Amino acid sequence: MNDDIAFWLSYLTNGKHLAWYASFQFTIFAALMGGGLAVVFGLTGATLKNSRFLPLRLIGTIYSSIVRGVPDVLFFLFFPLAFEQAVEWVVASQICTPESIAAQTSAWPPCKEANWFLGTTEYLLLASVSLGLVYGAFATNVIHGALRSVPTGQLEAARAFGMSPGQVLWRIQIRQMWVYALPGLSNVWMLVVKATSLLSLLQIADIVLWADRLGAPNFLPAVGLVHEDWRWRYYLVLFVFYILVTWLSERAFEAITRRVGKGILSEARV
Amino acid sequence: MQPLLNDLAMMSQAVLFNIYFAAASIPIGFVLAVFLALGKASPNPLINWLSRVYIYAFRGSPLFIQFFMFYSLALSLNLAVWKPLGISGFVLHPLFMGPLVLILNTAAYTGEIFYGALRAVPRGEVEAAKAYGMSRSQQFRHVIWPNLIRLAWPAYTNEVVFLFHATAIVYFALPVIGAQADLMVTAKTLFERDYNAFLHFSVAALYFLAVSLVVFFLFGLVYQRLMRHMPAPPRMRFKPKWIR
Amino acid sequence: MKKIMLAAIAALALGGSAMAQETVRIATEGAYAPWNFLDESGKPAGYEIDLAGAICEKAGLTCEFIVNDWDSIIPNLLAGNYDAIMAGMSITEERLQTINFSDEYFPPDPSRYVALAGENINFEPLAGARIGVQGGTIQAAYAQANLATDNTVVSFSTADQAVADLSAGNLDTIFADGAYVDPIVSASNGAIEYTGPEIMIGEGMAIGLRKDETELTTKLNDAIVALKADGTVDSLIAKWFDGRGPYYSE
Repeated sequence: MNDDIAFWLSYLTNGKHLAWYASFQFTIFAALMGGGLAVVFGLTGATLKNSRFLPLRLIGTIYSSIVRGVPDVLFFLFFPLAFEQAVEWVVASQICTPESIAAQTSAWPPCKEANWFLGTTEYLLLASVSLGLVYGAFATNVIHGALRSVPTGQLEAARAFGMSPGQVLWRIQIRQMWVYALPGLSNVWMLVVKATSLLSLLQIADIVLWADRLGAPNFLPAVGLVHEDWRWRYYLVLFVFYILVTWLSERAFEAITRRVGKGILSEARV
Repeated sequence: MQPLLNDLAMMSQAVLFNIYFAAASIPIGFVLAVFLALGKASPNPLINWLSRVYIYAFRGSPLFIQFFMFYSLALSLNLAVWKPLGISGFVLHPLFMGPLVLILNTAAYTGEIFYGALRAVPRGEVEAAKAYGMSRSQQFRHVIWPNLIRLAWPAYTNEVVFLFHATAIVYFALPVIGAQADLMVTAKTLFERDYNAFLHFSVAALYFLAVSLVVFFLFGLVYQRLMRHMPAPPRMRFKPKWIR
Repeated sequence: MKKIMLAAIAALALGGSAMAQETVRIATEGAYAPWNFLDESGKPAGYEIDLAGAICEKAGLTCEFIVNDWDSIIPNLLAGNYDAIMAGMSITEERLQTINFSDEYFPPDPSRYVALAGENINFEPLAGARIGVQGGTIQAAYAQANLATDNTVVSFSTADQAVADLSAGNLDTIFADGAYVDPIVSASNGAIEYTGPEIMIGEGMAIGLRKDETELTTKLNDAIVALKADGTVDSLIAKWFDGRGPYYSE
């Protein structure tokens, strides 16, 4: 019995498992960064949608409907590739000489010097930005609605004080809209969290990739513990992990909503 | 122009897989969702608890993980269960496993939508039905269900579009039989050939967008029919919501 | 302002690639023992990792391994995310159209069928079988071309997943590199056994490189030639492949 416990303890703390535990950092980073960026893009999108200038309004509307009209995974794969190629194109236009372009044999980039190495860090940042862009489109709608929920009396009072439209937007409307946006933003956050499971598609050694490698059947003692296919157990751990994160997030959002909604939400609901 | 047409032609085959995955899971997911919603509203503590846990677990975890987990779980049961029953190749086939996991997933999301609608059914109407002496099944058929489906339909339309989008990851998670390829696999394969991300992914996106629009249109027709008793039937617009 | 930003981006990217020139980044799958796998400590290990250490030392290069999924390993090489591939990749005509190969470091080896013990599969001709392969391999290409009409070819993203499906009875047979299934057959205590013919495909395994990397290719080739001559390659093959060889030295 004791031997069993010691065996499992040492198995679950071997380097491979430690690497798995460490890879949770990628997931957490992508979720936080992606969630934060989603709010930034959402604010931008909502401001554009509220703009009095028609082209800006169109950009905001098109952004939020196109991105939501295609699967998140498609955009998630497309954006890092497109961004990499765009950067390489810009760099190439600055530094490629005719000789270096002539020397280039492969189709892309235009010259060798313009190549941009993407490692885990770059992919992680790009993945976070694409999560931000995708779910920013969802947040755009949430924030757009919340901006409209701010009582007009507040805005009229601000204008009466002589505030410029920009001041009204930044100092009054955006400050007050958070309370109304929170329930929706909580939903967007849950979507971002779940979408972090896709990181391995961008060659990031994330929790899903490690679960597959750890659970895959092994016959060779040189590779590690010999065991049959254990993958579903590892995936079950991830399944439970995500449910836990969802639960914790819900509790956190409830607490925040209660706190910031004091005196406001009860009035609004009358 | 030619490459664009080539892509459009290639993917017209691929989109059928996505449509199949969605079409195979929507009806069963719908029925399951009705039971889950009733279960979540049930006064029986066990049924109530089970429905709640189910809906929470499947809405609270990524579909991508659910695919991996259920495939490897089904695989580990193969020798003990599926093989003796003689349905091994069938159960583990991606064209069965894919819809199965999608059903389990969408049932939870749809169940939550229906549960929300169930709670929004006007109490007065239910009470009136009771006062008329309707049995419980009569109440459900004549009062609760018509209300529920009308309340839930816009959100359900949205869920169907999301489900269609979710079919994009089926072949990223399951083994591929023969040369079968859905939109995403096709786009990825084409991209890996010539690095034209803008072309191939845009064409795939176009297909997803087009089918989403068709779904909105068809479900909009159903909605108009559901609401035909209203003086001015509300119209549904292409407006994917932020909630899932 | 725009110019400055462009220059800054250019400088960043240049800095990136200039730094990258010093270390050679080698991609591996990390799921193809004994060539490459992730060991107990979670780091790449195996024949190719040992060999890369020797090659890089000989050539005076600093090398670093990057784990990349098999199915996108060539595209990401071409996209410039690393400089070389050492992932049990065989030289084929098709691959030579997009990438270059160094000298081989593992000899041509027949591909084999394996099946669960007691499964009598008729190979004359093979029909109605569920054949597992790893997608994007020479075996997958062979199966797709020669077996797909009469059989069901199932592609997996790693070879280990195919083995899992075979062990669970979801496949009739796996078609894979002989040296990959060798240790599995011997470690399975008779549960998995060879079946069917040996089929020679591929022209040996080598380092995959971008076509424009002529300088790096020469450096690596020189090192491989030297290591073949002094017996290092053979001793590493013998170490990782259960005493196979010698192939390259007297």
